[in-house]
Amino acid sequence: MSAAIPPEEAASAMAAIDDRRAWLADRLIAPGWYHPACGVLAGALIAVAETRNWPLFYWAVAGYSAGCGALMWMNQRRAGVTVRYFRTRVSIVFAAQVLTLSALAALACWLDLDRGRRGAFLVAGVLAIAITIVFGRWTDKALRADFQARR
Amino acid sequence: MTTAARFDEIVHAPNRLQICAMLAAVESAGFPAVREGLGVADSVLSKHVRVLHEAGYVAIHKATCASRVRTSLSLTTAGRAAYQGHVAALQAIMENGTGKPEVSSTARRTPSR
Repeated sequence: MSAAIPPEEAASAMAAIDDRRAWLADRLIAPGWYHPACGVLAGALIAVAETRNWPLFYWAVAGYSAGCGALMWMNQRRAGVTVRYFRTRVSIVFAAQVLTLSALAALACWLDLDRGRRGAFLVAGVLAIAITIVFGRWTDKALRADFQARR
Repeated sequence: MTTAARFDEIVHAPNRLQICAMLAAVESAGFPAVREGLGVADSVLSKHVRVLHEAGYVAIHKATCASRVRTSLSLTTAGRAAYQGHVAALQAIMENGTGKPEVSSTARRTPSR
């Protein structure tokens, strides 16, 4: 049994596949508020250390975890699809973001707790917001590239 | 690993091909998201999903949340293999221009649009 379809029909079908994948990639891209909100959570967590109130800091860690979970849940609910986000490119960007924020927090710890430079955690908190937004945009680009590369 | 080219007439129908293309990229997708992606009515999507489900290509999940039933769809292993084989067949047709790919033995003629 064979099916005879002209190359034009095959090309049209492939174009339709690419269209749907592009539509899906657009839908998966986080809305404008998402990365700033993640950034505020990360920045607040680091800035809270400035108070040197460690019980408050532990509550901030819990709040950060709950906040990130809620943001991811809302984003997934908005998109209406469940995806495996941590594909190769996205994983690399995410790992780089975690390392950068960890290095920033470590630097703030050294400056404030070891060198006595007050305000280091506040500055680091503000920088964390910007870093999270920038890496978030890179994550979106990586996700889009990943979707468009695969059929 | 390369996928063997296998033309599948169940998958080839335009709406079903697009459903498979969307589901192949995700773990699962909500019925409203797929309907919006295709730009078709509920009844049209239901008809195509039923064909894919009966062929064993799509799994339908229903979950009740806040007294509302949420339906989500995902490709089965067989569905993923059929879709990938079909895409490989389409690519072969485009490259060779023969228009005579092997047809899946499980494929059958169904109303396509």
